[in-house]
Amino acid sequence: MMKPRIALAILIGLTLPVTATHSKTVSAGKNVAAGAHYVAPRGPGGHPDLNGVWQVMNTANWDIEPHPARAALAFRPGPFGPVPAKEVVALGAVGSVPPGLGIVEGGSIPYKPEALATKKDNEAHWLERDPEIKCYLPGVPRANYMPYPFQIFQSDKALLFAYEYAGAVRNIQFKDPGPAPVDSWMGQSVGHWEGDTLVVKVTGQNDSTWFDRSGNFHSASLEVVERYTPLGPGLMRYEAQITDPDTFTRPWKMSMNLYRLEGTDAQILQFKCVEFVEELLYGRLRKEPLP
Amino acid sequence: MIVRALSIAFVAAAIATAAAASPYKAPRTSFGDPDLQGLWTNASVTTLERPPYIKTLVISPDVAAKLEAANKAQLAENDKPTDPGKGAPAEGDDPGGYNSFWLDLGSKFGVVNGEIRSSWITDPADGHVPYSEKGRRDTMASAIPQFRNFDGPEVRSLGERCIVGYGSTGGPPMLNVLYNNNYQIVQSPGFVTIVVEMNHDARIVRLNAQHLPANMRPWMGDSIGHWEGNTLVVETTNLNPNQRFTADIRHRLYLSPDSKVTERFTRIANDQILYEFKVEEPTAYTQPWSGQIPMHATKGPMYEYACHEGNYALKDILAGARQEEKKPASGGTK
Repeated sequence: MMKPRIALAILIGLTLPVTATHSKTVSAGKNVAAGAHYVAPRGPGGHPDLNGVWQVMNTANWDIEPHPARAALAFRPGPFGPVPAKEVVALGAVGSVPPGLGIVEGGSIPYKPEALATKKDNEAHWLERDPEIKCYLPGVPRANYMPYPFQIFQSDKALLFAYEYAGAVRNIQFKDPGPAPVDSWMGQSVGHWEGDTLVVKVTGQNDSTWFDRSGNFHSASLEVVERYTPLGPGLMRYEAQITDPDTFTRPWKMSMNLYRLEGTDAQILQFKCVEFVEELLYGRLRKEPLP
Repeated sequence: MIVRALSIAFVAAAIATAAAASPYKAPRTSFGDPDLQGLWTNASVTTLERPPYIKTLVISPDVAAKLEAANKAQLAENDKPTDPGKGAPAEGDDPGGYNSFWLDLGSKFGVVNGEIRSSWITDPADGHVPYSEKGRRDTMASAIPQFRNFDGPEVRSLGERCIVGYGSTGGPPMLNVLYNNNYQIVQSPGFVTIVVEMNHDARIVRLNAQHLPANMRPWMGDSIGHWEGNTLVVETTNLNPNQRFTADIRHRLYLSPDSKVTERFTRIANDQILYEFKVEEPTAYTQPWSGQIPMHATKGPMYEYACHEGNYALKDILAGARQEEKKPASGGTK
């Protein structure tokens, strides 16, 4: 099977007249015009202009590893093999999983053996455990590849990410305040520019967020180094290096495209889902619980 | 005589020059908008409405000092260590709320135009929300369930439910409450975004834009804005009907969902924004009403206020009510 990054290089080569040759990002650059280098328009402060509403076009939020389409996220044994679990069977095709080549470089996540067992157990208990089901804050990097857009607000003084999902926000600090005093859901983001790449180190995240709906998880030792590199008009490459020695045998990397939404699409709306999960979380505590 | 007249003229001219030069020139962003960016707080002893023991909008420094000292003493009293020998409160007794350690309500009255203010509301002159009869009825109808009804999550307050911060901290109008009175303003071309600490809400103000369709009524309404000179003018409509009643210990507010709220942000010093608001709705109020709040620069960073993720309170409030209902003495239904 074609490796995702090679596929990406081909895709970019075919679709963009001016193509990035960031060697770290697009390593197989044979069909990329040698020497061509995308120069992103300058934004406030003289750095590349990242302002706008961005979103992925992939299925990583279902499963960050390569995966064929499957009938559901939760199953139970059936007479001829697994069938969708009772709780989700009514969703039919809407509850099924779209396929994806994944965003994990190299294809699979280097779990420690005991962590891999936890991942599988998470997957089997997805309905009870996925923090997205409860509308919990998504953490980083998951926030960036959920099927909701987010907006970057960039000035010469500040850089803020506002996510449609759950109204999550991240303020990127450009002066390192030292270790976060306490763990949080979205962590502490400290950024700097390396040429035209925005590099953000995210620390201080708690152990309660996941990477996707397939039980991929991390511990509170998680450290994420994100790289945002403009590749073309309205296109960024997003890479996140994941380091968590309590869960993984070595650091690993995910990468994907971020697309800027244009025109009337370029507006994030409100998806404050807390109220949408009240029946799930508190329904049994009603004065008269529904049957 | 001529000399004297001249000198008067000179002094007058000097004053005029000083007056013309004194208006603060707000810094500009690199894209040319007046720069409101930074971290700001509206923590204060001053409240939305005037307390009953004060009769005037402006109070003297002496009166302010006395009230601020009383406020401080009260907080110090509440901050005393808990007496370990006191034992648990008797059944049915109020165990009390936070001690002062958890509060950050400010220690000073707000000062606007050099005046020490007893209320944020400046119009009407009595410092109170000018509810009409209908407005009063709607207030009671909206408020009572939050205090007396525990039948399900939907009847509890938005603060308890972790949907938005309590007491209109996120606005509009953005009012000071007992804690987490912090705001971060970030600007980019075409946008002014106000991150409200409680609950990590980004109010995204779209400049020179159109309102959402009428059936879209987000929490905190839909805000569009434009610049009038150095002032950011934000107009909010499409308010969420479920956000119509909000309360802090020090204020209660019924905000009719049909209101138009106009907020004005003017940077008047490096460390101060004058925040002004006006609420217009002809049926709930007898007149438009408006107020002024100083927002002061504050030090960061602003930390994450995650509420829902650790919301044990709502579960316990509902579970407690179910437990109460099991007791025959409390007139329970089970």
